[in-house]
Amino acid sequence: MAKYSWPEKPALLGTPVKRVDGPDKVTGRARYSYDINRPGMIYGRIVRSPYPHARVVSVDLAAAQKAAGVKAALVYREPGTEVMYQGDPVAAVAADTEEHARDAARLVRVRYEPLPHVSTVEQAMASDAPQVFPTGNTRQGAREETGDLAAGFARAAHVVEQTYSTHVITHVCLETHGCVCEWDGDRLTAWISTQAVIQSAQQFAQALGIPQSNVHCITQYMGGGFGSKFGPDAQGIICAKLARQANAPVKLMLDRKEEHLDTGNRPSATAHIRAGVTADGTLTAFDGESWGTGGAGAPSGFPLPYIYSFPNRRRAHKDVFINAGLQRAMRAPGHPQGCFLTEILMDELADQVKMDPVAFRIRNLPPAGPNAMWAQYFRDGARRFGWDERHATGDSAPGPIKTGMGVSAHRWGGAGRGSRAHVDLMSDGTAIVKCGTQDIGTGTRTIVGIVAAETFGLPIDAVRVEIGDSALPFSGGSGGSTTAASVTPAIRVTCTLALDALFAKVAPALGAPAEDLVAEGGRIHVRGNAARGMSWKDACKLIGTEPISVDGQWQDGLSGAGTSGVQFAEVTVDIETGVVRVTRILAMQDCGLIVDRLTAESQAYGGVIAAINFALFEDRILDRVTGQMVNPNMEWYLLAGLSDVPAIDVVLNNMPERGVIGIGEPPTVSTASAIANAVRNATGATIRSLPLHPHKVLAAIEQQRAGGTN
Amino acid sequence: MSVSRRDFLKSAGVTSLATAVTSVAVPDAAAQTGPAVVGPGEVPVALTVNGARLDLNIEPRVTLLDALRTRADLTGNKRVCDRGSCGACTMIVDGRIVYACSTLAIEVQGKQIRTVEGLSTGAALHPVQQAFCDVDALMCGFCTPGFVVATVAILEKHPNATREQISKGLDGNICRCGTFVRIMEAAMKARGVARG
Repeated sequence: MAKYSWPEKPALLGTPVKRVDGPDKVTGRARYSYDINRPGMIYGRIVRSPYPHARVVSVDLAAAQKAAGVKAALVYREPGTEVMYQGDPVAAVAADTEEHARDAARLVRVRYEPLPHVSTVEQAMASDAPQVFPTGNTRQGAREETGDLAAGFARAAHVVEQTYSTHVITHVCLETHGCVCEWDGDRLTAWISTQAVIQSAQQFAQALGIPQSNVHCITQYMGGGFGSKFGPDAQGIICAKLARQANAPVKLMLDRKEEHLDTGNRPSATAHIRAGVTADGTLTAFDGESWGTGGAGAPSGFPLPYIYSFPNRRRAHKDVFINAGLQRAMRAPGHPQGCFLTEILMDELADQVKMDPVAFRIRNLPPAGPNAMWAQYFRDGARRFGWDERHATGDSAPGPIKTGMGVSAHRWGGAGRGSRAHVDLMSDGTAIVKCGTQDIGTGTRTIVGIVAAETFGLPIDAVRVEIGDSALPFSGGSGGSTTAASVTPAIRVTCTLALDALFAKVAPALGAPAEDLVAEGGRIHVRGNAARGMSWKDACKLIGTEPISVDGQWQDGLSGAGTSGVQFAEVTVDIETGVVRVTRILAMQDCGLIVDRLTAESQAYGGVIAAINFALFEDRILDRVTGQMVNPNMEWYLLAGLSDVPAIDVVLNNMPERGVIGIGEPPTVSTASAIANAVRNATGATIRSLPLHPHKVLAAIEQQRAGGTN
Repeated sequence: MSVSRRDFLKSAGVTSLATAVTSVAVPDAAAQTGPAVVGPGEVPVALTVNGARLDLNIEPRVTLLDALRTRADLTGNKRVCDRGSCGACTMIVDGRIVYACSTLAIEVQGKQIRTVEGLSTGAALHPVQQAFCDVDALMCGFCTPGFVVATVAILEKHPNATREQISKGLDGNICRCGTFVRIMEAAMKARGVARG
């Protein structure tokens, strides 16, 4: 079998397969980094700047070092250097108990010289703003221009000119960032909560100045990353240094406040847009100035315009720096922002030409590509959702509860890249599959098992899967929705090679050529003649004492790139309280070949709920005077609970001919935009910024009554 | 007299914001006849966890959650917010659910403490745990032990709980991955199968 392909009639692929680590998770047996307790382990704690911007004048560890139970202390931010946001790490201690570590951290004496700071984009961009950052508070990107903007606007019968924006949110991983570090001489083992177990080992080695082969990272389970966990960060290196100094294993896990302040966020996005449309509903022109903040020196870009075809367009983006924690990739980076900033505009333009929003969008889709299914999803989805029951903008039904529907479209890349695997087949029938990937909650452990079991014709519990360890064959970090497309081809190839080696042993025993053999239903047999064969166990007995031991890697032809989706939302808005409730979501989504239908659907539910949070609840609130985060906790950083979750209808379009692509991120892109458009449909008032908190809904309704939000 | 949010906003006008400040009377320390003071150093604390006795030496300020996770290697329930806001630490103490992160270990001596570890027997899962696995009501799994314990508690109290009762009962638990839809399915599936 030289060519690698997915089976025409899979036994497992695409079916709902239960997570193999479900029992470990529901019983509490699963050990996350936070749960690792090592003999002699002590606890680390970081001291952080309370100021949004300050010079560190001095750091005095003396009192902390003398405190009860303290075994190590270090300065992280040298005197004379600056801290750039509340939460910036300055020093650290380690002690025999967490309580002693917290006590000792309070005894570290840091003297700061507070410096001018900026806490909002407006403050940073003001002409008289203090220049807080070395190269200025803003960084202008290149202007992109296509077509003839003037001609485009000249042709437009209607022009909409508005400002749209989305806000900063934090990842809120339930398991905070952190690790347990343990040295053995100059060899480091780190049980780290990460999306990239191999890359983390590389980064530890680089930062600590030791060979990469001296670092062993382990992540069997991790409690959420959403893009923010791709290396040891400051806390991991601090943990390793404390462990070395104390000559004891150190556990350093951030607390919830630290997690909000210093582990990343989705940058804000604002765009002032002018867009034109002809009388018959064809988009002609788009002129957008955008900006956003990713915190203290980090970028904030996003695609704009999003999806729809504006033949004449211009766009310039500016990064604005404020004294706040730096942004990190957050589930579909840039796309929720670009989607929102375009999709509200699309409904406003549709109203100008009095067209149905779905019809308007279909009319202005880019030329169809092999991976662009929007037109089909718009039509099928509209039918399934009952879109023809949608009223025009502004629900005229009596009473304070208004109902509305909205729609949005999105795309994502996915695709796979190099990954390796190793397979051992033992004479007792054991099949072991190894890959240096990690399961961040998406079900990677299970899909590795599925591909192996599919290839070997075995039930999934007959395959042992080993992942989550940097000593295993190379695989990339889990980001960009690339894991399934990177890992499953490597598993397929490696298992196929192992099976070929097994067939070579079995063929003489069956008196048939190896290329005539197949593995299915727990047996190896001649194709088309199930009786002429033997059980998997009997076949493996022929292996002998030296196991079949095969290395393999990712190859082209089993994975693809590019997904599309469309989502519909129905909401009720109470126009007396401003409270928005989502009643229904329909998510139409493709992801190429579905490997595990159960976990793929869960990703879709999860992405939608994350976007409901983005639309209605969560918000990283900074005090505009002090630069401190007002809600660095989980009672005022609002997240949806079970009662807030609507009925969610997920329609996954299995496209086996496209290979495995990836689904972790795409379902989270459109939902907030569909909800915002539904709120507009319900109230008749346009709210052009997220989150859709009650006071903003009420203010928009008030403004609409007074003369419109146009 | 109760004032609804709707009535308040209608009477106050939509753009005004009212704040209420409540002050709490601080008891006069001198007026109290003192009980015996325990701590601040480590003291013996005896807990009954999942039917077994656990003898610890901990400072009185150690929470039930931290006592079990860091001194007894019972790491099933997780620490997530440490402020009683997210439910990941949910345990059952004398039949009532508690946020173990906001309960002092020393306060629950002599009480029956049940954690997620106490729900399964060997390899056999509790029906709620089995239902979670069957319908995929979990992803990263970090919120899962708290949700499982909370669901067990609801169904022990209301074996035929309605969707609304389940919803209200689980509103004290947060999931970031977005497993809520299937958690509801799992809870509905486990109804009538959950043992006491």
